[in-house]
Amino acid sequence: MVMITREPEFFPPPINRLGQFGRNVLLTCRNAGRALLMLGEALLDLRFMFSQRSRPEVLHQFYVTGIKSLGVISVVAIFTGMILALQTGLELRKFGQEVNIGVAVMVSMLREMGPFMTALILAASVGSAIAAELGTMVVSEEIAALEVMSIRPVRMLVMPRLAALMIMTPILTFYASMLGVIGGGIVGLTQLGVSIPAYMDNAVRYAENKDLYVGLFKAFVFGIMITIIACHQGFSTTEGAVGVGRATRQSVIISFLSILVVGYIITRLLYE
Amino acid sequence: MIRFEHVTKYFGERTVLDDVSLDIEPGETFVIVGFSGAGKSVTLKHIIRLLTPDLGRVYIGAEAISEATGRDLELLREQFGVLFQGGALLEWLSVGENVALPLRERTAMTDAEIERRVQEKLKLVNLEGVMDAHPSELSGGMRKRVGLARAIVMNPHIILYDEPTSGLDPVTSRAIDQLIERMRQELNVTSVVVTHDLFSALSIGGRIAMISDGRIIEMAKPADFIKSKNEVVKSFLDAQYITKRGVWERGNHETHE
Repeated sequence: MVMITREPEFFPPPINRLGQFGRNVLLTCRNAGRALLMLGEALLDLRFMFSQRSRPEVLHQFYVTGIKSLGVISVVAIFTGMILALQTGLELRKFGQEVNIGVAVMVSMLREMGPFMTALILAASVGSAIAAELGTMVVSEEIAALEVMSIRPVRMLVMPRLAALMIMTPILTFYASMLGVIGGGIVGLTQLGVSIPAYMDNAVRYAENKDLYVGLFKAFVFGIMITIIACHQGFSTTEGAVGVGRATRQSVIISFLSILVVGYIITRLLYE
Repeated sequence: MIRFEHVTKYFGERTVLDDVSLDIEPGETFVIVGFSGAGKSVTLKHIIRLLTPDLGRVYIGAEAISEATGRDLELLREQFGVLFQGGALLEWLSVGENVALPLRERTAMTDAEIERRVQEKLKLVNLEGVMDAHPSELSGGMRKRVGLARAIVMNPHIILYDEPTSGLDPVTSRAIDQLIERMRQELNVTSVVVTHDLFSALSIGGRIAMISDGRIIEMAKPADFIKSKNEVVKSFLDAQYITKRGVWERGNHETHE
């Protein structure tokens, strides 16, 4: 069982900058270890996902993650597809190849832009909200109260959020990718003179199943990362309202950086 | 029985508890008073193992809670109910759901049994008819009473109160004092109360301990506490207009300048 409520930590001032750097490295490694332990416990707790106790909270988190994010994801996805089609199409037109915007938009959206963009939106909206919510609970001693009552915060608070994000991120990614393709089709038709049947034929003919699977796999990994980073940052909150603000900001920054780095690594591993 | 054996705790280079030893008897209401930052809440957090001593041990009965982990710690904690300073209610749950939370998570009771127990405990803290309200709709005093109902819903042997009257008006504070006394009488629980409200401490305490700079500088029954020769205790009493000439000695709870 991972204890969330921790004792305050005090460190002597570092001797020099190298000492400070070394301490930061060690603390980062320790925090990563704690986050991974929490992830392990939350993954084990997924077996209680459909239990009578957990079901209402799990469904609520699906609603918050999925339905409440639909609006912003729809707008961003459709415009991303339109921008992709326009930029690519204007260049391809020079060679008379504007019909190939279909595959360009489809592959870009499935492999990279869909999962990347969806994950960034979820990290900024849902992830930051998780960090702020859990941080406030730490500050107001609600987490300590749960632990004193022998109620595990990981099962009650982390597991439902993990379930929602790891399932909803791939679904939202697929949805965003398809909207992006539609946006690209609209630009192709109205500004590049590419008919919808030609655009779709080109998109479907040259895109591969692997593009879809890799994109969904990335989204699945991003969903887990966003949850664990946000929950860990929230639970690590100290120093009241200022601490909640810091945890929220850190959650977004770490999630963004992790999404970029891990996204690159997955692409590198699966497309070499 | 709760026993502290030479407990010392450091926060960095600062000693927040310095060789504290004390025994709290079953059924007793033990009050810990002191200035802000003296180490009162730190003492309370050691009892429930939210903090671990750097030196010494804390026992609950024969078990050292300061060394318990995992399932052993869970079992020891089942003996406790804790009223946190702000109530620590979960904001998204209703009053009834907050009070029912330990029962739902820790027992196999049916919905009907849970509802009956919740209503019984809310009645005990004089809060009926607010089952469906949310914590944000409640006053500070009501939040504390809901927190108390949740603390006693599992029928604990020990109740810990962290600043139960802080931030409340005098009338509500006295109502909370009466509730603490009622818990002791009706449930026969051991109570440990941390407060800087001396009026409250003298009203409800079986014994009062004063902590200053991490050390217990006085521990006595209320009538003896106000006669303390310790200068720090005297200044604490004077600061709250309670003197040896007060009528506490005669058992009448009034204050005197």
